[in-house]
Amino acid sequence: MALLYVLLGTIFGFILSRSGAADYNYIQAMFLFTNFQLYGIIGTAVAITAPGIWLIKRYGRTALGRPIAIELKPQHRGNIVGGLLFGIGWSMAGMCPGPIFVNIGEGKIYALAALAGALAGAGLFGAVYARVQGLFRLPRLVVGTRDG
Amino acid sequence: MPLILHGLAPIHWAVAGAGIALITLALLFIANRRLGISTGLEDVCSFVLPVPYFTRDAVRSARKWRLPFIAGLVVGGFLSAILGGGWTPTWNLGMFDEAIGFGHAGTLAWMFAGGLFIGFGTRLAGGCTSGHGIFGLSNFERPSLISTISFMAGGILTTQLIYRVIFHLGS
Repeated sequence: MALLYVLLGTIFGFILSRSGAADYNYIQAMFLFTNFQLYGIIGTAVAITAPGIWLIKRYGRTALGRPIAIELKPQHRGNIVGGLLFGIGWSMAGMCPGPIFVNIGEGKIYALAALAGALAGAGLFGAVYARVQGLFRLPRLVVGTRDG
Repeated sequence: MPLILHGLAPIHWAVAGAGIALITLALLFIANRRLGISTGLEDVCSFVLPVPYFTRDAVRSARKWRLPFIAGLVVGGFLSAILGGGWTPTWNLGMFDEAIGFGHAGTLAWMFAGGLFIGFGTRLAGGCTSGHGIFGLSNFERPSLISTISFMAGGILTTQLIYRVIFHLGS
């Protein structure tokens, strides 16, 4: 299966690379409302994925016959505050998480600094989770009931 | 507008959007996985930071697909560069160089700071453009709608501030 994931990631990365989704100028043009490209991409992706998910859920099974199980994301105050913070970072770096890796593959040297920052930021969040849990009404963590 | 990468013309948005949708649906239909990339940052952190947030079940159980998928993203970018004119390390940052031009050290510091916001923000929001913006919206999940509106607002405010207020563009 690992090879399949690498393959899917490769196609995904290639599309991000060639569509402008991993391009600093296109990200800024989206936020400046001077270019439609990325709105078109996200809009088309959602317009096709939504009925696709509906069909797959209706069918109820994966291609290998396992029951479809989608883990839902919790709702809390962090959606708004975290979203705003991520938006600031997306604008500054001109990359969201996927394109960080795509840009590294393309050879854009500065993307390595963005990755280092993203890992440090995620690490910081993990380290302070217990302290900000109440403030943002974050869910309790389920640890150690299942092997990884 | 040409891409920064070799000045290539981008593929049409409808084609790119359809391709992203097909990958997302393939992940769900074949592997029972919801698309999400920023959680992969946790996978990497979980190797070095043994705090409960990173050792929780949701992270540990998904390592075997997230890390290969992320490796694929790097390969995809690499192939795109090779097939588009050759792989060369570059500092080219398009309009950032024209309007801001901090030099190499400044660019790295700027990118690291941006990355901090990305890493902390996506973890606090519980997802990024892929998990909330594409999968979550497509699955009609309210937290994803709230998060997507928030990160679009954060990005729009920041870019407008940077390029229309602080560093003026020609236009």
